[in-house]
Amino acid sequence: MATKEEIVNGFIKAIVDGDEAASVMWAKQGIDAKVDAYELVTKHGGDAMSIVNSKYEKKEFFVPEVLCSANALNAAVDVLAPYMKADKASEPATVILGVVEGDIHDIGKNLVKIMLSAAGFRVVDLGKDVPLMQFVDKTKELKADVVGMSALMSTTMPSMKKVIQLLQEAGIRDKVKVIVGGGPVTKEWALSIGADDRPHDASSAVGATKELVAKLKAERGAW
Amino acid sequence: MGEMTPRKRALLCVTGNKRKADRISCLDTLTTCTVDQMNAVKAPFPEANRDPELAFRLAAAAWEVVGLEGFKMPFDLCVEAEALGCKINWGRIDRHPSVETHVFNDLKDLKIPEDIMDRGRFPLKHDVELRLMKEYGDYLPVVNQVTGPFTIAGHVFGIERFCIWTKKRPLEEVKEALMTISEMNIADCKKALKSGSEIVCIADPSATSDILSPVFFRDVMVPVYRNMATKIGAPIVLHICGNTTAYLPYLPDTGVDAFSVDAQVDIGFAKAVVGNKIAIVGGVPTITALLFGTPQKVREAAIDAIKKGVDVLMPSCGIPPRAPLENFKALVEVARCMVYQ
Repeated sequence: MATKEEIVNGFIKAIVDGDEAASVMWAKQGIDAKVDAYELVTKHGGDAMSIVNSKYEKKEFFVPEVLCSANALNAAVDVLAPYMKADKASEPATVILGVVEGDIHDIGKNLVKIMLSAAGFRVVDLGKDVPLMQFVDKTKELKADVVGMSALMSTTMPSMKKVIQLLQEAGIRDKVKVIVGGGPVTKEWALSIGADDRPHDASSAVGATKELVAKLKAERGAW
Repeated sequence: MGEMTPRKRALLCVTGNKRKADRISCLDTLTTCTVDQMNAVKAPFPEANRDPELAFRLAAAAWEVVGLEGFKMPFDLCVEAEALGCKINWGRIDRHPSVETHVFNDLKDLKIPEDIMDRGRFPLKHDVELRLMKEYGDYLPVVNQVTGPFTIAGHVFGIERFCIWTKKRPLEEVKEALMTISEMNIADCKKALKSGSEIVCIADPSATSDILSPVFFRDVMVPVYRNMATKIGAPIVLHICGNTTAYLPYLPDTGVDAFSVDAQVDIGFAKAVVGNKIAIVGGVPTITALLFGTPQKVREAAIDAIKKGVDVLMPSCGIPPRAPLENFKALVEVARCMVYQ
């Protein structure tokens, strides 16, 4: 039987290579060898996606490679999910994600979803072409901690500003942190519309979200 | 010497001969529709995308209301996907139609029906172009826009899946599918050119380098665009969204006449890299200047782009529908006062 180290390394390599069959194979070996499934997904899966993202940043990888890696991780998560004991010590923060109304480009949002889920967040995906009020309603309903919005078209970007206004009007803007993303969205513009952060890619979204949640818990306490 | 017609000027500028024109052209080959124009000519979205009379009025508004030096049909990027069977979300007054569902589950399912030019809104588009040609054609050019092959592939197969296939399937099969789609684009252009359109715009937003590698662009997209450029036989503007700087060295090989760059690309840099081989058009950022800026900000961006050598002054991407008319007009005003002689 493979050692834990071999399994972890094989698992990471399979994800980086975007090799679904191999990631599933290593996940099964992990189960057989009693490697902690939660750790395999959140820690080592997260490490693998960090490697993928640094390759993306260096322009060694492009979106197709990242998608293949995300698929390989997802396939492994499906296998490992029944064996994962969630971290009971802390209730995971809830993140709502969606692509704003009028926009159907959801590759970026899907990558963020995979990364945040792998990092242990409770992610609620509203999908694409999401009516703006739905972001507000779901935030209230789920007592969300973070609202993440994405727009890939310059024609739909303004909707993100509108959602932030709607959160304000509903009196819950200070209950949540807002992150935005998408090709044409600059950090400068994001801050100017009142968003809290604009992580520059899917992997930096994890760190940014963790920081915002920590800040939020200190400022707000519970909902 | 009489004044040069905007038609002549546009044809010179898009083919990289702006020095032979009296001044820079402000033809806009991308999406020109804004809510202010729809209200001005009483031809709002979503109806104007499907009603020939409204479509004609809204297309003509580019000149009649804004002063842009040419017309472009259609307004959206869903004509091809719709004709191939995709479900369309028609949007609303300030939202363009978008593709809701893909239609093919595998590369080998791709089939372009023989009578594709009679399907969906292809006839409407060609009819409106013909009417624009009849009413304005001696003075202003008509641009036939086609949705680029990569974007259509994203529509009909699903963009994520198609992206994954670019890695998991033999590259030749992926290229073959894009070539097949490009033949539909070519048939569309031939028909449009026959009825008087004079310029073609290939709008391929999904082929952005935010998604694809420069190597894929060079090995797959360049031959596909070259196939189109060889067969279409009219001046072609290629528009790709996002930061396409890494594509620049390969663009002359496509054979298109002009490359329309988004706001993330520095016009001066693009001109320096390939400006002697291909026209560089665009220059006025759609978000920071046209949508959220002021007429003064638009003027500054336009003058800056002209200084950097842009060949046709136009928005850097499709204009957001809520962009104020006064901002759009400021772009036209700058072009009009930039006289070369």
